[in-house]
Amino acid sequence: MEVLSSLALGFSVALQPDVLLYALIGCLVGTLVGMLPGIGPLAGISILLPLTFGLDPTKALIMLAGIYYGSQYGGSTTSILLRIPGEAASVMTCIDGNAMAKKGRAGAALCIAAIGSFVAGTFGVIMLTLIAPPLATFALRFGPPEYTALLVLGLIFLAYMSTTSLIRTLLMAVFGLLLGMIGIDVVSGHFRFSFDIPELGDGIGIVPVAVGLFGLGEILSTPSRDVKNDVVAPKFRELLPTRDEMRQSAGPIARGSVLGFFVGIIPGSAHIISSFISYAIERRISKHPEEFGKGAVAGVAGPESANNAASTGAFVPMLSLGIPTGPVIAVLMAALLIHGIPPGPSLVNEQPKLFWGFVASMYVGNLMLLALNLPLVGVFVSILRIPYAYLYPMIIMFCIIGVYEVNNSVVDVWIMLIFGVVGYLLKKFRFDPAPLVLGLVIAPIFELSLRQSLIMSGGSFTIFYQRPIALVLLLISALLLGLAAWGAFVARRDWRAKMAAEAGESA
Amino acid sequence: MKLRADYIAGGAFVALGIVVFVLGWDLPFGRITAPGAGMLPKLLASMMIAFAIIIAVAGSHGETLREIPWSDFSHAALVIAIAAIATLLYSKLGFLLTMPILIFALLAVVERRNLVMAAVFAVSLTLFAYWLFAIILKAPLESGSLWT
Repeated sequence: MEVLSSLALGFSVALQPDVLLYALIGCLVGTLVGMLPGIGPLAGISILLPLTFGLDPTKALIMLAGIYYGSQYGGSTTSILLRIPGEAASVMTCIDGNAMAKKGRAGAALCIAAIGSFVAGTFGVIMLTLIAPPLATFALRFGPPEYTALLVLGLIFLAYMSTTSLIRTLLMAVFGLLLGMIGIDVVSGHFRFSFDIPELGDGIGIVPVAVGLFGLGEILSTPSRDVKNDVVAPKFRELLPTRDEMRQSAGPIARGSVLGFFVGIIPGSAHIISSFISYAIERRISKHPEEFGKGAVAGVAGPESANNAASTGAFVPMLSLGIPTGPVIAVLMAALLIHGIPPGPSLVNEQPKLFWGFVASMYVGNLMLLALNLPLVGVFVSILRIPYAYLYPMIIMFCIIGVYEVNNSVVDVWIMLIFGVVGYLLKKFRFDPAPLVLGLVIAPIFELSLRQSLIMSGGSFTIFYQRPIALVLLLISALLLGLAAWGAFVARRDWRAKMAAEAGESA
Repeated sequence: MKLRADYIAGGAFVALGIVVFVLGWDLPFGRITAPGAGMLPKLLASMMIAFAIIIAVAGSHGETLREIPWSDFSHAALVIAIAAIATLLYSKLGFLLTMPILIFALLAVVERRNLVMAAVFAVSLTLFAYWLFAIILKAPLESGSLWT
């Protein structure tokens, strides 16, 4: 009952006309951001972050979160119509979504993706409503050792789930953690690796690094001659799937929703990983696995549901523990901090209007996205017809504006350019940049909690196994690390590599 | 000996790890009871070097440097060079002059588009962005040190 009354408070906030307007703007921008190749939710949120400084924190968070989950919807449009993933989580939708489009079922594929996204998004919000408040209460028991153990688990889980090798993922995470060491040491006040550049005193920002790696890096490796604009445009009357297609999509949507939400809770690039796992599961349990890659309905419904549920699940650790599960969530946390509101266990009790208003806005946002994505498909198709040669200069301009606006600093723009080149090279040498950004995001919390733990225990690492929560988290980490090492050394080719290879074969 | 991609990648990260050690040499390591500012960076640099060596050693059968597709390199180099020049000019000339130059250069030099079309697109897009950000959204855009 308490949840219902809190949710009623949330809806009283979320249904105010001006809040609805910001949710709508967020959903619209998110859909566009998800559709356009080279600009993902992270770049979109980063660009618009400075524009929310003048808003109250509830509206700012609602708009920015709308961009995030809206981009998951938008990504499917480009994947299905163009076979280009608008953002990384939509890679799997390209395979069968575009195959359906070539068979004249583009409308049905878009509709199934939108329905799947809606069901999964709504399921995710219901779970968020039920799980986040009790988890926040539980998290009040967390001290520095528990936070350290949780962050270690996040990194290990990311390494375990990654489709590149364990060592490559860990190397990227270490690289990110090292970048997070730049700036003033919060404990001793020493300047570290700042080269007398005042702007580096506060450390390297997440926004320029992430926009550089994911936005600019993608543009650098995508010459316009490689981008084909042969859009398969569906007619409005072709949007409805047949009864058989609906029946085939029900199971994958349900499985994708549950899987995506729980993968989303764990730190890492959850929404990307969840769509890969969902595709692999659907293919494995299908009675007709040979149809995958040739337009299988389950190949669209499962991954699309999973990535939407995961993007909602990712809010659980942010709201209840104050821990970012990935770069996008880290930028959203930065938005809250800029408004003087620390995300974490105290948020539910100290900022109930913000917390519940945000949760309620996600119910409304999912409805808005369902309403937007189907009738406006014609408008979106015409945007996709803009030649990429004209699109990417525009994206570079927005990247520069967005990065510069955060601190009004040209140094940040230089950092973005440097990481654009780094992102390009990492892609060439088959390194996934996501763990790098996660490492950078968690570095300050990780270092502080580790050092506090050691100071608390007088330098004894036993503190991590004398405290039950920390012990359990570290045991899970050790188990995952052991499984990954077993896969790498004994089986040579473990399930993640097989999954990536299978996805590649289907593509 | 064939030059493998993982030799280059591993070697680059080993070098980076060493650079971290050299630059952070003066940072106090501290004691385990009171870790200093240099402890974690040095531990992480050690881990980076170890992982990089494993990658280099394990990469003896991986793809060679020539097998990596570099056909996009000239595009990437041109885009980054133009963006770097625009960044140099940004704080001097300001938003309204730098952005049309950036967009025009990308369209004319990288994409070889019609010069008039490129100029019209560059100016129109900049004016639209200025209207959106500076006027509607009241976001402060760089005005340029030459004019202030």
